[in-house]
Parts: sequence; structure tokens; C-alpha cells
Amino acid sequence: MNANVSLRDFATPTWILIAVGLVAGGAVGLYEMFFGHLFATNNALVWTLPLVTYIFLALMSTGISLVLAYGLIMKEEAITRHTRPLLIMAIGILLGGFTALATELGSLLNMVWILLSPNLSSPIWWMGALYSVELVLLAVKLVMDLKGRHGVFDMPLAWGTLVIAAAAAITIGAVFGTVIGRPDYHGAFLSVVTLVSALVSGSAAIVLLRPHSALTETAGRIFRQAALLFAALILVRVAYEAHSTVAGMLGWASIAMLAPFLIAAALLPLAPRLLALLGIVGALWVQYSFIITGQLVSLGQTAHWYGAVQSYQPNIPEALILVLGIAVAAALIKLGEQFLMRGEGRAAT
Amino acid sequence: MGYGMVIDQQLCVGCAACTIACKIENNTPVGFNWCDKITRTSGKFPNVRYEYISTMCNHCDNAPCVAACPTQAMYKDAGTGLTLHDTNKCIGCKACIVACPYGVISINWQRPHRHWAQRDQLAEGCFSPREMLEESGGEGSPHGNPERGTTYPVVRPAGSVEKCTFCDHRLLEGLAPACVDACPSGARQFGDIDDPNSEVSRLVAKHGGQGLREELGTRPRVIYIRDYKPQRRFEPFRPAGEGQGA
Ligand code: SF4
Ligand code: SF4
Repeated sequence: MNANVSLRDFATPTWILIAVGLVAGGAVGLYEMFFGHLFATNNALVWTLPLVTYIFLALMSTGISLVLAYGLIMKEEAITRHTRPLLIMAIGILLGGFTALATELGSLLNMVWILLSPNLSSPIWWMGALYSVELVLLAVKLVMDLKGRHGVFDMPLAWGTLVIAAAAAITIGAVFGTVIGRPDYHGAFLSVVTLVSALVSGSAAIVLLRPHSALTETAGRIFRQAALLFAALILVRVAYEAHSTVAGMLGWASIAMLAPFLIAAALLPLAPRLLALLGIVGALWVQYSFIITGQLVSLGQTAHWYGAVQSYQPNIPEALILVLGIAVAAALIKLGEQFLMRGEGRAAT
Repeated sequence: MGYGMVIDQQLCVGCAACTIACKIENNTPVGFNWCDKITRTSGKFPNVRYEYISTMCNHCDNAPCVAACPTQAMYKDAGTGLTLHDTNKCIGCKACIVACPYGVISINWQRPHRHWAQRDQLAEGCFSPREMLEESGGEGSPHGNPERGTTYPVVRPAGSVEKCTFCDHRLLEGLAPACVDACPSGARQFGDIDDPNSEVSRLVAKHGGQGLREELGTRPRVIYIRDYKPQRRFEPFRPAGEGQGA
């Protein structure tokens, strides 16, 4: 625990930006929870940017957990040396995602209730359960690291994190993939997309936020491979959608989506942090695209209310929930670094 | 035992009496209906075809909304075959809305009927909406049907979804759903569709018919018979058994 933190440590441009994000996004979140509805939703388009924010941050956190678990299992020193900051990142980003989800559900209590009345056939229940377990595992690992307790439990915990994180990412895909009435969602493909996109955004976040040469090289290698795999998946999807005769399919993939991943994978060593950021934005684009597109075709009677096919643009309050999620994650990461690390190896801001 | 509804497309005149009756019976707010419609226009003039399909929850046997709901708030009632909803368990995740292939579940983004809670008077000396509400003893609106409240809240809370219950509160009293009683042309028949001797089962046996999007395997309990064709308009006047195919 670092006791040498002073108020001056908070008077930085990063903290000012974080504070602005927390206040602006927090005001929208509180209004949404207690006073009224601000999001650009309707009864046919129900999952919009706030839900995308949750999925984006949850998958990014999953990716960091996967990279860390891989490093611990394979004994990659370049990764294991950064165990604590990576744990702080994974926890902070996951809690940022949970914050966005709470505004989407309209209440914090709803996130607890989900665990108390389980429906085992529901992918959303599994998603909630797996991410809760993942959060607990990450917290246990952080506490053990803080107390300097390493030994017999390290390997089982690393394997547990690997399995739970991979299952959580796959389950997020299943939330959409098990929907039978919407052709843009249905299918196991989305679980592959969410798993690989977790690796892309998680490894990119490490490159972006932990610019240490050895770690950047190892995480950058994982990022480049994952980004190329992701580009291949998108290409497969583009080809499938081009030839699909499924009625009502709009198609969420486009050739342009390949660009961020191909550019970032090819040129990463030239500007690692900038291109990692490009990869993160690309992952957000893909996730946003498939989550929104799946709901644009109005089903049944809703076509009468909203038109056969809708269009969607996020409004400012929704954009501020994205800001809120990122600000909460950033604040927790900064706090973790300021209080839980002994001054060494802080994240770049 | 399992309730089901048969809608005779040849008899339905598209008057929307079912929609209005449902709205009044179930106190649904402005912005959505439990009982609604799909309309389809196809063909080229002069061979234009217009279809009016009255829609509501199909109370599917294999209900995707029930499978998707993480909290069991959306559930199948074993005794009646109805798909019902428990507002107390609903966390507003909207998975059921996304999962339902028929678009029949709606969510209260805001507190419904909230204008009736206002204390402002439109003009000095007038009633405030709140006073009207209190005077009528209503819940949520002076028009709220208190009988609805026997099985489901008269006003569903903000953040909760809602949908057709086949008027389960009326079924308990031995009544048909409000839409069935309101239909002026007798296009809607209701009963135990699991009993092969019931009127609804006989209608399906006689005319064939099918539910919406049956290819998805949802096994809907709302069955549409006698697809509307103008030449069938005078069928009831023909000798029984002639030209009655669906
Ligand atoms: S019609 Fe929709 S809401 Fe009704 S039971 Fe089927 S899936 Fe559920
Ligand atoms: S919105 Fe409510 S009823 Fe629908 S799936 Fe979520 S918890 Fe279940």
C-alpha cells in the first residue's frame, strides 16, 4: 500500500479529464436511474450505446485477464512482472463496464437480483454469473499479490481465470447468437467474434496503458496475431453476408472494418500506442455494428410503430455513458496505481 | 389443459376493437399495445392485396422469451400454458424483447401514466389530475381497471417489461379475454387448444391454419385460420363443407 499519495497527485490533466467524465456521465447515469429516460431507444431498438459500452469494456477486461493468465501459465516474465498493474486494469475496466450496465438496467440492485433468481437456460444469466466469478477471481489474485502470497494457488487461479474469462467472452456472443428470430444475430459465429475481439482489445489496452518495452513486445505480438485473426473473421463474415439469402438479414460486417486491424497489425512497432488505440476503436466499431444492426429490422407489430427498418444514431446522453464507463475504469486504474503500487511502473497517462 | 386462440382471417374486419378493448382492460400506457396488428400490402394495382393480422403474445410452448430471461421473471404457467411475467423479478434487461420473434413485448422506459400523479391544475379552480385520480380511487389513472390488479399490477413499474397475458385475471373468473368479447365479427375464438374436442381445436382441425413464424419452432398458441381471400367473402352462405380449406 502506498502511503505517500498527496492531493497534488490528483491535480493532473488526466485526473481533471477523468473528473469531467465522471461528472458529466455520472449526471446522465443518475438521471436515467432516478428521474427519466434519456436514451435513444424504443420498444424495437432496446440495446443501444450504453449496452455496447458494457460489452466493449467487459470484453477488454476479459482480454487483459486472458493475456495475464497466459503469461502466468506459460511463465512469460515479460507479463508476470506486471501482474499487479494488469490485475488493476482488468478490475477497473470491468467495473467501468458494470457502471455502464447499471445505467442501462436502471438500477444497481438489478445487477444483484440477476444472480438470486437464476434461469440456467439464459445466456444473460451465465454472462452475469461468469463475470461475477471473474471479478472475484481477479480480486482474490490482487489481494494475494498485495500480501505477497504466492505459491501453490497461483497456477490453479491462473487456469481458473483463463477458463472463466474465455467462457465469459463466449457467453457474451451467445447472448446474441441464441436469438432465433433475428438473422443478424443468430449463430455461434458471434461467440468467436466476441472471444477474439476480447483478445484484440485486451492486448491493445495493455500496449496502450503499459508502455514497457518487454511487455509491449509480448502483448504487441499477441495483439498483432489476434488482430489478423479478427480481420480474417470479418472477411469471412463479409463473404457470408454477400452471399446470404436469409430473409431480413441486413449485414453488419464491411470491408472497411478490416482496415484498423490490418494497419495496426502491420505497423504496430512504428507507433505502438497509437496503433493499439486504433485496434481498440476498431473493436468497438465491430461490437457496436453487430449489436445495433441485429435490432434494426422491426419485428411483428413494431414495424407499424417504427418502420420496417430503423436507423440509429447515439444521442449525447448515450455517448456520455460511454464516457462514464471509460472514466470509471480510468479512475479505478489510476487509484489502484497511486495507492496499490509502490511508485514503480505506473501506467502512462 | 392449455389455452389458445384461433383468429379467423376471413371474419376479421380489421376494426381494431380488440386493440382498444385490450388497452382499456389492461391499462396499457401511451406508446404501445399488448394487442396490436401487422398490416401487409402487396401486389400491383389493380391486383393489390391488403392483409390485417391481429397480433399479441402467442404464448408459445417453446417460448424464446422464457429461455432468454435471466431471472425467471418471464415464465410458463404449467397449468394453463400461458406465458406470464412477474414484475417483481424483472430487472429490465430486455433480453425477452430481443428474443421474442414477434415484437410483442414492450418496456416502460419511464413511469407509465405519470401525468396522473401531477398536482398542477390546468386552470385555477379546476381539478388537478392527482385529485381526479384520488377521487376515482384509481391506481395510475382514473380509468385503470382495478380487476386487472388481481393477477398483475394495474400500473407496471418503470424499467419493467409487459405483454399480453391472455387476460389471465378474466380467465380466473371464467371469462374470455377482453379482445375476444369485444370482437364484433366473432373472428376470435378462445379455449383449451390442448383438448381435441374444444371449439378452437375443432376449428383448427377443420380449417388447418397456422401460427406466425412457425418455422422458428416456437409452437405459438395463436392460430390463424382461413387466410383472407375476397372470393371467400360469401363462403358462409354456401352449403357446409364446400370450399372451406384454409
Ligand atoms: S410471442 Fe413472444 S412474448 Fe409471447 S411467448 Fe412467444 S416469444 Fe414469448
Ligand atoms: S426484461 Fe425482465 S422479463 Fe425480460 S428478460 Fe429481462 S428480467 Fe426477464
